[in-house]
Amino acid sequence: MINKIFLLLISLFCVNAPVYSQVFQTESGSVSFLSKAPLNEFTGTSQKLNGLIDLEKNLLDFYIDLNTLKTGISLRDKHMRDNYLETKKYPFAEFSGKLNTPPALEVGKIYEVIATGKFKIHGVTKTINVPGKIKVVSASQVDLNANFKVLLSDYKISIPKVVFYELAEEQDVTIKAVFQKK
Amino acid sequence: MKKIFLFVFAFNICTVAMAQLERKLAVEDRPVELTFHAPRHINLLTVEPLSKKELHFAIMHTFGTIDGGLQNLFGLDNGANIQLSFEYGFSEKFSVGIARASQDKMYNVYGRYHLLQQTESGSMPVSLSFMGSAGVNSSNYDFLLAEAPDFRERTSFAFQTMIARKFSDKLSLQLSPMLAYFTSPQPIFLIQSREQMNLGLGMSGKYRFTSKSSFTLQYIPNFNSEIRNNLGLGIDIEAGGHVFQMYFVTSQALNEQYLLAGANGGGIDKFRIGFNVNRIFATGGR
Repeated sequence: MINKIFLLLISLFCVNAPVYSQVFQTESGSVSFLSKAPLNEFTGTSQKLNGLIDLEKNLLDFYIDLNTLKTGISLRDKHMRDNYLETKKYPFAEFSGKLNTPPALEVGKIYEVIATGKFKIHGVTKTINVPGKIKVVSASQVDLNANFKVLLSDYKISIPKVVFYELAEEQDVTIKAVFQKK
Repeated sequence: MKKIFLFVFAFNICTVAMAQLERKLAVEDRPVELTFHAPRHINLLTVEPLSKKELHFAIMHTFGTIDGGLQNLFGLDNGANIQLSFEYGFSEKFSVGIARASQDKMYNVYGRYHLLQQTESGSMPVSLSFMGSAGVNSSNYDFLLAEAPDFRERTSFAFQTMIARKFSDKLSLQLSPMLAYFTSPQPIFLIQSREQMNLGLGMSGKYRFTSKSSFTLQYIPNFNSEIRNNLGLGIDIEAGGHVFQMYFVTSQALNEQYLLAGANGGGIDKFRIGFNVNRIFATGGR
């Protein structure tokens, strides 16, 4: 009995901790990439960005199921999944890192931030810096905008010579997401 | 007491702050994609669907027989049969196309319906599609001493069921039981068969040897005994938004009716060079 009460007390302490934490989450953020090649320019988008911003622990974690990216032409999507991103083997693009200077959250303010962390796609992980903007809409909502470039060759995604004019080596990635307090 | 304990414990688990998000796929059991490189495979249609509001354009050629050698540039001088086709996806499952082949100036209207799609998990082992087609020969027969065939006599129809399986990333096979019906199979038409009903079993194979190219095979045993079987061998190459298909084939036919009722060359020197270009366009807004 005493044991049980003891455990109960411990659990109560555990419960207390996250209630006051600054954890924001989304499951429907938008990710888009722009491919600007000499003969062809196209964008791919997904509304399935999953993200976590924990300002207490200064932890950022994002991932997207690459199968949800759409470029508007299904055959191109299929080739993208099959030949380039190889989503059967590597279904996710992921970023885990932290903010270089975590902001104090004042409602109505926009903070320019830089995140540093590990970006992983196509089975290759690299440390990158991502500049972004965090807007504190209310105590329970923050909006995030970020933009970074991905060089396909950095992640062992090769472009065949015949496709060189249709697919850009440098992809411009934009993230827009509304995070709600958990 | 126990209940309170369990409640608090459960609540505790629910609210433990996560270090990382759990990686979850948006769709667990995805349909198998790219069973073939394009909706067309040498001369036959495949189970490869179009998406809604997409337009598939294919331009297909078959040239003269290669026995003319370099003098005739292996048949390229002998005049090509060219088919242009546009196929539009009305949904993820249903598309309608129109095709025009220069051989007998044939117009065809056709539809494809995809009933089943193979899934990655194997919960559905094959893809199954149907195709129906109605065509009319629009050649000018005014030069005939007899009366030229009327519109009804110029019509022909085709139907096929396509059953395909992607066995691995490399190997895909398709079986297509086919029939072609000519309202009036006249000798003046560029077909060999004199029968109205023509039956065949289309077989299509793809073996991928690099991520963007495959060896392709087409074999159509003909059940009308006097007609030789159709054989085609080639390669498919994905190049950006295009799929190029180059092949050697025994027949000049490019549509289903003529594939089943048309003549096939015998012997290696009666093969013809063939060449398709496939392109898919998005129409309308996203």
